[in-house]
This record gives sequence, structure tokens and C-alpha cells, in this order.
Amino acid sequence: MTPLVDVAFLLLTFFMLTTQFKPTEEVTIELPSSHSEFKLPESDVMTVNIAKDGRIFLGLDSQLLRRRLFGKENELKASVQVKQDELANYLIQARTANPKLRTVIKGDKEAEYGVAEDVMNILQKVQITRFNLVTDLSRSATQ
Amino acid sequence: MAGGDVAEHKSHTKGKKRKKGRRLGIRIDMTPLVDVAFLLLTFFMFTTSMSRPQTMEINLPPDKEVKVEVAESNLMTLRVTDKGDIFWSMGIESPKRIEHKDLLSFLRERVASNPKLIVVLKIDRAGKYDMMVNLIDELNVAQITRFSLAPMLDKDKELVANVKA
Repeated sequence: MTPLVDVAFLLLTFFMLTTQFKPTEEVTIELPSSHSEFKLPESDVMTVNIAKDGRIFLGLDSQLLRRRLFGKENELKASVQVKQDELANYLIQARTANPKLRTVIKGDKEAEYGVAEDVMNILQKVQITRFNLVTDLSRSATQ
Repeated sequence: MAGGDVAEHKSHTKGKKRKKGRRLGIRIDMTPLVDVAFLLLTFFMFTTSMSRPQTMEINLPPDKEVKVEVAESNLMTLRVTDKGDIFWSMGIESPKRIEHKDLLSFLRERVASNPKLIVVLKIDRAGKYDMMVNLIDELNVAQITRFSLAPMLDKDKELVANVKA
């Protein structure tokens, strides 16, 4: 019994220390796959989510920043729906609040390309010329 | 019996060394402890997200309208319709259709014969986001790192429709 308990507690402490809770999402997004091996940065991430139906959600990983941008009632939400014409404004505000923010686009597989094109145009307009697209690692071995 | 021991001990005067008690065979039932430990273990195992998702990095040119002159022979245009059909053309040639599965080997071949190749991606607004990611991924795999995304204009749609007809 004792070795079993030892191992169980060892694993327990391991998981407790390494855990990073899965961020709750406002929308489920099915990611497209790619062969890219860049990892998503751990902190200072600003996520532009594009849902299947074309709605845009802006997510920030710091609660403080979320409160500043979206108000107190939304600070616990991982991402907040924004209209396309407001997006530029939010992006600028977020960037001025934290210049280290990295922008990431997380689009649904089935989302229309048009929305993504608009988002990229907005990013370019607000001088965010470097961003990442979130993808799953593709399983196929074309490499 | 332990309680009796304590009571007996208290009655003694302070300072007297405590008599070493006989070791008792104590057995603690550990099952609830293990239960809780495993419960927490499973909880943390399920809630943890181990792998961070992959990302593709894209650098856009700054907003300034910088015109880059590209030789026509180096320019390949990939047009994608809303249905996901892919058409390629060099320079101002008329587009030719290519299957998605052949694209990667085709791109590799092209870039091997002309390392200065620049690709323009024109994807229909009604197309899928997945398509764009796949195409960019394929360009990356084929090591074409210079490509541009351009809007699909009505003119392009006409061109493609003409080929289809």
C-alpha cells in the first residue's frame, strides 16, 4: 500500500505544480492543422478568435488588461465578442497598455476566409505586422 | 490504553524523564487517503493542458504602400475558388487547375527550378479559413517563404470561371 500511495502523491504533486488550467472558451474553435512547430508563447498573448459563424472574439491572457479593456463585468471571460469595426480600437488600446503583447489569430477551420482577410487587414492597419496563426500539429507525414 | 498512559504520566513530577512506551502496532486505514489522492490526481490530469498549440508565424509588410517589382517569370498566382478548387498561373498566363494533393510536389518542383519564385495567394472571400492555412503551410513546407496574400477580385473570378467553362 505505501509505495502505491507514494507514487500517487508524487504524481499528484507533479500535476498540481505543472498544471495550467485549460482556458475556458466562449466559443469552441476547431483548429486547422499545419506542420509548423512554433509553440504558442506562454504569456502576453492577445488572441483574435474567429468563430465558425464569423463572429470575432478578442481574448487577452491577463485579467488586469481585460478589466481595463472590457470593464469589470467581463474580466473573468477569456474572450469577449467584439464587432469588426471596434477591433482596431481594442487592439490599439491593448498594445498601448502592454507593448509586449503578441498577437495570435485563432480561426476555426470552417470559418470564412473573408473574415480572416478583414482581420489581417485590420492588423496591418494598426501596425501589427507580425502575428501567429494557431494550428494543430498535422499528423500526416508529408515532411 | 493510550489515554491511561497519558494520565499516568501527568501525575508524575515534572522533569522526570518520560518512560519510553512500548511501541504499539498501530495500523492506520489509508484507503480514504488514497481515494482522495487519486481523486485529485485524476482531476489534475484531466484539467491540465500539456501541449501548447502550434503556431505559424506570419510577417506582413508595413502598411506603407511599398511596390515591389517582381519579374513576371518569377510570379506565380494561386487562385482558390469558394469551392476550394485551386488554379495556378505564371505571370499573366491563363490559370490552370491543379488538384490539392498534387500541389505540394508541384510547388517543390517549381521552386527547385526557380528559387526566386514568389507566390501570390488569392483566395475567394467565401472560401474556408482552413484552405488558407493549408496553402500557407504547404508553401512553408516547400520552403517558399516569400508569398503574399491578395484579395480575389472579380476579374480573377472571371478568369477562373472562363477556364472552368
